[in-house]
Amino acid sequence: MSNRYSRQTLFPPIGKEGQEKIRSKHVLMIGAGALGSGNAEVLTRAGVGKLTIIDRDYVEASNLQRQQLYTENDVAEKLPKAAAAEKRLKAINSDVEIQAIIGDATPEKLEELADEVDLIIDATDNFETRMAINDISQKYEIPWIYGACVASYGMSFTVIPGKTPCLNCLLKTIPIQGMTCDTGGIIGPTVQMVVAHQTAEALKILVEDWDALRSAFVSFDVWRNDYTTMKMSRAKDPGCLSCGEHPEYPYLSAENRTKTTVLCGRDTVQIRPPHNEGVDLKEMAGKLKALGYEVKGNPYLLSAELEENRFVLFQDGRALIHGTKDMAQAKSLYSRLLG
Amino acid sequence: MNKVLFLAHLRDEAGEESVQLDLAGKTVADVKAIVAESYGLQKLDSAMTAINEEFASNEEVIKEGDVIAFIPPVSGG
Repeated sequence: MSNRYSRQTLFPPIGKEGQEKIRSKHVLMIGAGALGSGNAEVLTRAGVGKLTIIDRDYVEASNLQRQQLYTENDVAEKLPKAAAAEKRLKAINSDVEIQAIIGDATPEKLEELADEVDLIIDATDNFETRMAINDISQKYEIPWIYGACVASYGMSFTVIPGKTPCLNCLLKTIPIQGMTCDTGGIIGPTVQMVVAHQTAEALKILVEDWDALRSAFVSFDVWRNDYTTMKMSRAKDPGCLSCGEHPEYPYLSAENRTKTTVLCGRDTVQIRPPHNEGVDLKEMAGKLKALGYEVKGNPYLLSAELEENRFVLFQDGRALIHGTKDMAQAKSLYSRLLG
Repeated sequence: MNKVLFLAHLRDEAGEESVQLDLAGKTVADVKAIVAESYGLQKLDSAMTAINEEFASNEEVIKEGDVIAFIPPVSGG
């Protein structure tokens, strides 16, 4: 297939030279849900050298509406997303080396992988992992591309260590109880638009066309026809603990991490988020009911049940996930509902 | 006067796309508190703020005519 990349090399900012650069690069994809599927397919078709995909979840029927790499077969086999993605991506382009990792993108795991990657793409569903990605990016000087979406609303921002502000400059802390796709819904076009922004930036980085990068933070609403860019020239915080003058990489340290514990003999996993900002239990109860959960509660906690998912959520954000001993599965449910 | 824009789910919570308020001299943190109180918004603390399409910190002071937008970060992926 000698003309495989001809339409891409005809595009002057890439050209034959750019294609060789793309071919020599290794991209790390954190998450293989909707954004992970879309980003991975674009980069695989574009001929990236190696793609490492890490994800802790398995394919479910409710993924198929927007997660473009997966099929009904993957649902029937309950395949881990990373494994199903690997199979499909190899069928799309056998030139690309695909490494699938089934598991949690912990800071330790990210540090292990950081040495050999040229770019990290965020396709995760929670800010705790994003802040860890952000610190890894600064510590190892690897660019990363934030992307997120919910309902008809999406956003993206490209972080280049040493040049742009970082996610910690913008957010200062982990926002708790952001709306998630499991509570606010999500439509395919929102995903595709975020993927388009992330992959365009990714290609620019892979061909090292640094001047072409979008420096603004972009957000849009594909249903309400909004497109907003926010300039970032004043956003870099010199005292930022991730990218400032004296970085400490706070999200790589243990105290800023969700504590997950398997409660012995109870078939239950306890999840304790790092910041005690509190959860609005009444609002959460409403969201869970809308999803079909049976919800009971009192001022201190709520208990919710839907099919095999049973959990208790406390006002301080701590949760007991019942019916499992699998920490990754429990964290996955927690992230999907609480962000 | 100042125009305040609500993005994404903040618009649903506020029930308005934008509002006009007199905010000159106030900091972004003040404005967040005022707007959260007046429009029943719970998550303005974690929203990013743009003044005239430029990222603004909580300490920044609003000038007459500035357009303020609240951009809530989302986590879905």
